[in-house]
Amino acid sequence: MRRRILRLVPVTALLAISAAFALASNNPDHLDLTASFAAPSAGSLLGHGEAGVDLAAVVPHAVLRGTALAIVVAVIGFAVGAPLGAFAAISRGRLERFVDRACDLVQSFPSFLLALAVLSAVRSPNRIHLACVFLLTAWAPFARLSLTQARVLRGAAFVEAAQALGATQARVLLSHVLPNVMGPLAVQLGATASAIIVSEAALSFVGLGPRDGVSLGSVLDQGVYSMLLAPHVLVVGSVAVFITSLSLLIAGRAAEGERR
Amino acid sequence: MRAVRTLVARVLEAVLVVVVMASIVFFAMRLLPGDPARLVLGDEADEASLAPLRHKLGLDAPLYMQYARFLKGLFTLDLGESLRHPGESAASRVAESIGPTAQLAALAVAIGAALGVVAAVLGAGPWLGERKRWIDRAATAVAATPLLSFAPLVTFALAARLRVVPLPGDPDSGFGGLLFASSLLAIPLGAQVARVSRAALDEVARSQFLTVARAKGATAARTWIVHALPASAGPIVTVVASQLGALLGGAVVLERLFERPGLGSLILESYSTRDLPVLEAAIVAAGAFFVAAQIAAALAHAAIDPRVRR
Repeated sequence: MRRRILRLVPVTALLAISAAFALASNNPDHLDLTASFAAPSAGSLLGHGEAGVDLAAVVPHAVLRGTALAIVVAVIGFAVGAPLGAFAAISRGRLERFVDRACDLVQSFPSFLLALAVLSAVRSPNRIHLACVFLLTAWAPFARLSLTQARVLRGAAFVEAAQALGATQARVLLSHVLPNVMGPLAVQLGATASAIIVSEAALSFVGLGPRDGVSLGSVLDQGVYSMLLAPHVLVVGSVAVFITSLSLLIAGRAAEGERR
Repeated sequence: MRAVRTLVARVLEAVLVVVVMASIVFFAMRLLPGDPARLVLGDEADEASLAPLRHKLGLDAPLYMQYARFLKGLFTLDLGESLRHPGESAASRVAESIGPTAQLAALAVAIGAALGVVAAVLGAGPWLGERKRWIDRAATAVAATPLLSFAPLVTFALAARLRVVPLPGDPDSGFGGLLFASSLLAIPLGAQVARVSRAALDEVARSQFLTVARAKGATAARTWIVHALPASAGPIVTVVASQLGALLGGAVVLERLFERPGLGSLILESYSTRDLPVLEAAIVAAGAFFVAAQIAAALAHAAIDPRVRR
């Protein structure tokens, strides 16, 4: 139990440090042209990027905004997918096959391509657009997991007993099936959030990111552009993407094996 | 007979995926707020210059007519003319950029599958002893590392600083550049393949035919490579197929990183220059490329594993 709670430590620490730096530092839009691509120093721990943006301000803001987006999308995906999959499993028949196949299709879909397709119609996307695009595919892994889990549960004695006692479909679903499929779904919550951090960074890296430009992907983009001049920008961007995605992945596993 | 029916179903599903993808692009462009003609010419453009462009893009027709024309264009591979390079059809621009991306992706699949299978066989077999565990740990660690966070760093270290590999975006980099880019793209795939193949091999390890092979006196190499590996081919091909979407996304990122020509670069270029016909054609082509690869994976699965054909 204690080990599982320890898995929440990286993400909590990351968010706390980011929040502290975000509050203490300059506005992430603040430009200081004299410090353009200046290396890290005592005054600015992470150094400066293009046009002198302070990376110690941009990176924490980008981590916070990216994590918020990732968590919102993962939670909505969970809230849509989990009941859908469990409901499909206990109602069996055509609906079950349909949801099963739909999950297959959506999960194998090139989601990055889909994001490019939808975002290309928007002049400059904001985070709401990004969230909508990610949600098009984010529900599927939750529905798939909950479907597989609920398939096992629907034959369980306590579910049959509830049905025999005349519980409604909704009651069986909410109080008997759903609570028992939560463990693996929580792990998926972390995996989805982590994947969204990376997708958001990848989209802004290729130039389709949020219009405020405060994203780990645009730090990476600056880093690639100034690779020879100021390698610290690239290192900061890469390490930030890695730490953020990994700590969310680990946080998801805090619920692993949790059974009620 | 059932194999033919499955194949027909797969192809129909593939066509459906491409049409859905294309329709999303089509309707996103036309129904989301914002006039596509203004998207191309900018907000200051006057009506006099917008009207001919609307006519050229077919935007002055009713929506259902536009959609019918679009679907017809989809099946006749005629999606209009590039706005930024007049005289070049969108289809021809796509055709010339699909080759580099196909090379990159195909080589990455080959390298990733080989890497993953070798790692899994080493992890399952007796050769490494206690050190076997390191292979599992390495695969888990690599699978958790996003391409986006290691590809630029590795490029910086190997291509810009140490100069031991050519930059893949350089037209003179030739096969070395392609090999470097594909290897980067293959690393996450290899880690996934390693994990799944390892699980599949462990499953097979308990079966009787392996005990028989060992009892006949087959070497460890022969037992694992000749007897166990073909029986685990199914999950291996399936995991490669399931990673194709991620691979395509990775290819777009790498093409951007290296400024290497290809389908991803074409999509991003036509996005930033608002070359709508080319953008539509390129996204549809990428979708078609993806489903074609999926069908190839399904066929490969059936060819390797006779249980699928039944």
